Amino acid sequence: MKAGAVELGHASKVTQRGVNRGMSILDLFLRIIAIIATLGSAIAMGTTNETLPFFTQFVRFRAKYSDLPTFTFFVVANAIVSAYLVLSLGMSIFHIMRSRAQASRIALIFFDAAMMALLTAGASASAAIVYLAHKGNTKTNWFPICQQYDSFCHRTSGSLVGSFIGIIFFILLVLLSALALSRR
Amino acid sequence: MDSKSHSHETAINISETESNKGKSTAATIVATTKAIPHNHKGGWLRGVAIFDFILRLCGLVAALAAATTMGTTDETLPLFTQFFQFEASYDDLPAFSYFVVANAIASGYLVLSLPFSIVCIVRPHLVGARLLLLILDTVMVAFTTAGAAAAAAIVYLAENGNSTTQWLEICQQFGDFCQRASGAVVASFIAAVIFIFLVIFSALSLRRH
Repeated sequence: MKAGAVELGHASKVTQRGVNRGMSILDLFLRIIAIIATLGSAIAMGTTNETLPFFTQFVRFRAKYSDLPTFTFFVVANAIVSAYLVLSLGMSIFHIMRSRAQASRIALIFFDAAMMALLTAGASASAAIVYLAHKGNTKTNWFPICQQYDSFCHRTSGSLVGSFIGIIFFILLVLLSALALSRR
Repeated sequence: MDSKSHSHETAINISETESNKGKSTAATIVATTKAIPHNHKGGWLRGVAIFDFILRLCGLVAALAAATTMGTTDETLPLFTQFFQFEASYDDLPAFSYFVVANAIASGYLVLSLPFSIVCIVRPHLVGARLLLLILDTVMVAFTTAGAAAAAAIVYLAENGNSTTQWLEICQQFGDFCQRASGAVVASFIAAVIFIFLVIFSALSLRRH
């Protein structure tokens, strides 16, 4: 009887370790997708360059991401976040092999939360500017430039999607790490 | 004899050893040294929970200040034409409206999470409440940072304008409006940083030994 109870305890411990390992593998998977999303956003915004076909003698009508400081911040933030995600892949693989690690998990939660805040700041600031470019504002006399710079507008609006997907994945990553921490 | 003993098991260990006096004293020595870290850890968890509660109060003050400062912006310029008056308030810009809503929701969430925080102080070893607070705090970090960053982008645009898009800077005319908006954005960023600290403290107190 006692051997059977010991065996049962051993089996439940094995399944618990299996669940922990499954969560760590899911964590790695989410990180890889988030890398693709944020890198795609940075590249999509960074390669915007639209020149309108008409021009006067003095000025050419051209729009790039660097003309608006908010978009520059967006590209920089997405680049930093995807670089951090690539570096944290190593930490994630370490967690798959060693499920007991606690201090490194807490450090990972802290950095994930900080990077999520950076990504959200970039994405929402750009969203505000994109909204302004689409709708304009009558009170402040800001003209909606999307009527002229069509392709520029489409590019910038599309690059926001990858960034917001990255934010959702970061929330899931923090939840996974916290669950893995509390299950020990 | 297993070494993973809680404070209850030490009593059983003492009564077991009857044959060898030397062994029983060794067992009592082992038992007492194992009992102390358990209570000490409970005290540390309680300290973290109290600090968490205080941080929540500070975050509540910051988010509430941001929402009310932005919500009460209403500047009317002394000059006006026959047809319309030059006035600016927060609901003229949708980013500012979202800012007020996000900070109001963050303040409401902080008020509702105060009882959970008190529960964590009273019972330091409760895992479910801390986990719930951690995940909701993470969502609130994203929410608050989004509102603050959107409003910051609009304020930056209002102060500097943009040459490519021909957007003129309005802060030269609406000076007071811009100042209040900038102050509200700063308060909201402080609230977002406090939320990040709350996440870290919840994570610190979640780990098991």
